[in-house]
Amino acid sequence: MSSAGDGPQALAGSSSAGCPAQDAADCPSSRVPKLGDPTEGCYVYCVGRAKEEGALGLTGIDGKKVRALGVGDLCALVHDGASKPYSSRDPKVVADWVLAHHHVVEAAWRRWGAVLPITFNTIIAGDGGKAHENLRRWLQDERERLEGRLHALHNLAEYGVQVFCDPGVIAREVADANPELHALRERAISGSRGAVYLSRRQLERALQRDSQVRISQEVEAFYRRVTSCMARVHVEPVKDAPGERPMVMNLACLVSREQYPGLEAELHQMSAREGFSVRLVGPLPPYSFC
Amino acid sequence: MGDPVAAPPATLVDLLDRVLDRGLLINADIVICLAGVPLIGITLRAAVAGMETMVEYGLMRDWDQTIRAGSARVLEGCTAVAWGETSGTPAPHLQAGLEDQ
Repeated sequence: MSSAGDGPQALAGSSSAGCPAQDAADCPSSRVPKLGDPTEGCYVYCVGRAKEEGALGLTGIDGKKVRALGVGDLCALVHDGASKPYSSRDPKVVADWVLAHHHVVEAAWRRWGAVLPITFNTIIAGDGGKAHENLRRWLQDERERLEGRLHALHNLAEYGVQVFCDPGVIAREVADANPELHALRERAISGSRGAVYLSRRQLERALQRDSQVRISQEVEAFYRRVTSCMARVHVEPVKDAPGERPMVMNLACLVSREQYPGLEAELHQMSAREGFSVRLVGPLPPYSFC
Repeated sequence: MGDPVAAPPATLVDLLDRVLDRGLLINADIVICLAGVPLIGITLRAAVAGMETMVEYGLMRDWDQTIRAGSARVLEGCTAVAWGETSGTPAPHLQAGLEDQ
């Protein structure tokens, strides 16, 4: 920070790029950003509305000490490290990073009531030890937009709602409820050889068609009921989990404390419906809504 | 899976989804791997998807197959006949029509 060419900026940014007195112990000389050192970056976990600065006693990715960097009413949680993205082919390593990132975001969310989680692996370029300065400038430039989003997310939590369906149960219901299918089934069991073949094909198609309709109706009705109990919703792609019932609906929901009991009641009702089950995940910071 | 509210806490898959793919993208030239941030997510996701326990990750379910399997179970009581290949046009995806919320 002693280069003449960097003078005014270095002075202005000296408190952020250097080591504030309160966490000097966390800042061995090897981590003090050096002028022109391209390896110093600043990893960002989240942004919140809080007046905090310095070490928070939180541990981030790879045991890094997390600190707050504030501008006005806004504050970002960061750790200092190499300006190189995290990359690994070891799933265990990746899982640990992701969990560590999440723990920091969640802690901030619980502390502040609202948080904008930043996408994993977002690293502010150091550019000669100016990562903090760059981040502060970004916070300042984006202040209005960030504060607006934080305001909109206050006291809201993300929940994942997944609906599973056992198509066998639905197919049986469909078969039992429809007299025409009864008759087809009789012929498929006891008709002549040709009739058996034909009836089976017809029955199979009718069951598939009617099951599809029935499941769609149920799920769409559930969707209409459940979305009245939330502030916002994203419909996510369904996913297969081996050994489980197929997933027929996957929602990311933004829910207030007041709305939660209503959501819970709808989930209970849906899971009581034969052939359907529901999985709820949360509360989580609003990853899907920022 | 009777009680949805007693569901276990978020699993790794739930978190991977969100931490790697969601969250705010800082769209500014001060960010290393600007706009390419999702690429990093994809790289990491590939590593995670390699795990056997994660085979379910991100796969779209073949809905048509599932419905057929369900129907086949109802048909189990019927006499065994060579009923050949299952045919018919693929069923529309269940969520079609709901995405436009």
